[in-house]
Amino acid sequence: MSNRNGEGILSKGDFGEVRLEGVTKVYAKADQSQRVLDECTFRVQRGKLTVLMGPSACGKTVLINLIAGYERPTSGRIFIDESPVTGPGHDRLVVFQETALFPWMTVYSNVVFGCQVRGVGRVETKDRAEHILKKVGLFEFRDKYPSQLSGGMQRRAELARAMINDPKIMILDEPFRGLDAMTRQLMQEFYVGLFEEIGRTNLFVTHEIDEAIFLADRVIVFTFQPGKVKAEIDIDLPRPREFHMLASPRFMEIREQVIELLYEEASKAFAAGSKAAYDLMGAIVARKGACEKCE
Amino acid sequence: MRRARGRWPDTMEMIRELRLKREFKKVFNIRLLRGFLSIVMFVVLWQLVVFIKVPYLENLPYPKDVAVGATEAAGSRTYWFGWGISLSRIFAGFIIAQIIGIPLGLAMGISKAFKDYTFPVFEMLRPVPPIAWIPLAILFWPTRELSIYFLVFIGAFFIIVINVIQGVSNISVSLKWAASSLGARPKDIFWKVLVPGSLPSIITGMTVGMGVTWNVLIAAEMIAGQGGLGRMTWEAYTNNNIPFIVVGMISIGVAGYLCSTLVRWLGEKAMPWKKRF
Repeated sequence: MSNRNGEGILSKGDFGEVRLEGVTKVYAKADQSQRVLDECTFRVQRGKLTVLMGPSACGKTVLINLIAGYERPTSGRIFIDESPVTGPGHDRLVVFQETALFPWMTVYSNVVFGCQVRGVGRVETKDRAEHILKKVGLFEFRDKYPSQLSGGMQRRAELARAMINDPKIMILDEPFRGLDAMTRQLMQEFYVGLFEEIGRTNLFVTHEIDEAIFLADRVIVFTFQPGKVKAEIDIDLPRPREFHMLASPRFMEIREQVIELLYEEASKAFAAGSKAAYDLMGAIVARKGACEKCE
Repeated sequence: MRRARGRWPDTMEMIRELRLKREFKKVFNIRLLRGFLSIVMFVVLWQLVVFIKVPYLENLPYPKDVAVGATEAAGSRTYWFGWGISLSRIFAGFIIAQIIGIPLGLAMGISKAFKDYTFPVFEMLRPVPPIAWIPLAILFWPTRELSIYFLVFIGAFFIIVINVIQGVSNISVSLKWAASSLGARPKDIFWKVLVPGSLPSIITGMTVGMGVTWNVLIAAEMIAGQGGLGRMTWEAYTNNNIPFIVVGMISIGVAGYLCSTLVRWLGEKAMPWKKRF
């Protein structure tokens, strides 16, 4: 299906596994504390594409930050293979919601950043970068700055930058958010093809049902506030995934099941939203009344 | 095939012609013409004001007198010497301010503890207008020249520091996170993320600072200086040589403009990613 030139530049097989044991995260402010994640225990399986799903504001991004090592859990432990996470490392790579390409570097400099800071030799760096840039179709654009690229190209550049370090685990936090529908579909197709070709343990966060099912080997559904695992669903659609599968009966079946699970959580989130709105209205009315009393 | 090849030069010719036209339009466009007209109208108005002797402005020289003064000045050595003195004062004070101010701002932007220790004093001194430092500067420094350097330094220093602090704190945390995930050590994050990330603010601080240093320099030269464009303008006043006052003012304006242009040009060179396409 794909050319296998440059085999060995991206390793096959040395993939990691993420294990979470009772991970809890509480943000404490002066007068109140908020439990964002509650006793999360699950695995991101070796060489599989796991999708984390849940309504907005269910702590998905916090979970990513914990696994990436940017923040520490309040309690519980996270393991990469057998070693606990103590900080950020180049074995795990994160692709962020908003583009995190360095605006002052060209695409090429962005992509080789990981090699440079790790002290990889010049020749090897160049080989890897060129191979990966060709793979993501940005070789012609290597001397452009990120602001000169379209949204879809920026995401591909970011994928390339992540892949050059040959990470054991790739973590993607709603990477296709903000792209228009067409570009988004193409990116999904591109990404799933890439995954099928190079493997690697992937953790992908989204709140889009179709995106989740289309990409995933396994979908983990999260509850709304505090976030914890509600269900794990194995997706048995055959690989390679193609777009016509979005209309297949099996896809619909799974979709039905996921919607069922998500509906409850989403409506909780919605209710919380409207409650917040209601509280705000109440406060406004109360203040108005107070003012009238003053007069 | 042959026909196509035969046409090729024609196409090139057309492209060249179009390009020429575009270049021509770039240089002689309507907006440039308006700008030129605005200057012409200003000079005409000036001439008129002097001619009809508007009250309080009757001492103003004619544009022609100023032009004569300017040509005289351009031929004299002392005039260009004045330029040299003022420019060297500006660059000495300005560059020292950058050398001390940029690292200080970076340190304050990066380390909370360092900022807590230094920022309150900094914020206490910052609102003091640089000109208010003139008496102390004259008292402190052994020579007049050094006190002028110091005043120019003050004019640029606080502005660059405050801009660098802002620049560092405006760098999005996801860039730092991305860098550390890619294997960057603190040293790499400093040189490859924090420094280039705060560069736009550094350039802004330099541009604003350059404007302020000229204000400070001219005041300092008028009060304390020996030589320089500010002093020359003041001496023209004491000698009642009014056309030369105006020549001095225009020279100061041109010098300030040239310095700002230089900083802007440096900024464009240093930040190729900011170019618009």
